[in-house]
Amino acid sequence: MSMAMSPEFLLGCAVLLIGITGTAFPRPRSYVSRLISLEIPAFGLLLIMLSFDETLALLTFIAVTAIATFVLVRVIERRGSV
Amino acid sequence: MDQVYVLGLLVVFAGVLIGFYALMRERDDLHRILLTDLAEILALALIALVATDLAEALILPGLVVGISELLAVSEVYLAKEDLRTPPTAPPFRIEVMESAPGIMALILVAYGIILSGFTGGAVAAVGAIFYFLCRGQNEQFAIIETVSGYAWVFWIGAFFIFMLLPAYWFFAVMIAGGAILVKVMAKMSLIGTMRGGEHV
Repeated sequence: MSMAMSPEFLLGCAVLLIGITGTAFPRPRSYVSRLISLEIPAFGLLLIMLSFDETLALLTFIAVTAIATFVLVRVIERRGSV
Repeated sequence: MDQVYVLGLLVVFAGVLIGFYALMRERDDLHRILLTDLAEILALALIALVATDLAEALILPGLVVGISELLAVSEVYLAKEDLRTPPTAPPFRIEVMESAPGIMALILVAYGIILSGFTGGAVAAVGAIFYFLCRGQNEQFAIIETVSGYAWVFWIGAFFIFMLLPAYWFFAVMIAGGAILVKVMAKMSLIGTMRGGEHV
């Protein structure tokens, strides 16, 4: 466990907060823009995992996020409105 | 507690406040589903802050449960809004949605086999479910069920090796890991086919 604050951790925290704010209040307020904003906090989480050397969690998160994006795009497509 | 953990907790709780405020104010169901995905990222960040092997052990099942939940919720949403039949002219056409399922399912299944065990089975199954969801299916499910049954027998057999021939524990671990992988995968793949029909 790294006691000193690593740059990855600080950057991850910043990206996470920015991403959450962006996803919570997207502009324009459409499904696709919110879906794209969702990738930003995910990237912040990846950086935090990287700073703690959580390799398996990181790889699995990448795989699962890709699927989640596909599932959500499919629902938005069916819904008909962007 | 060291500084890293405290700072991380502060950031995550600030995020939770923002996320739940947005969720509270949201009226549209699909927007709510998207925000639920955000909440999942926050929950995972909270676990990741533990920063030991325990964190990894908790994140892996958390991810698998999260994606299963998302699949289920999105299906419920589609059923509720009567959107079961695909639209004749989708509002936007994304090439990747048509070409990627096969490749991604293959990668997930391969990665699941490397992970092995329960999590590996679940990851591989997510790949299989995803493929079925995107492509429709006409597989012989009796065969998958048979394989699943044999996998269960291998799993029990591995425990007999543990008890009767403890010297061969590594062999037994390999059998048990592989068998539970096949078992979980076979069971979870059925989810992808629940809706039946072609081009689900």
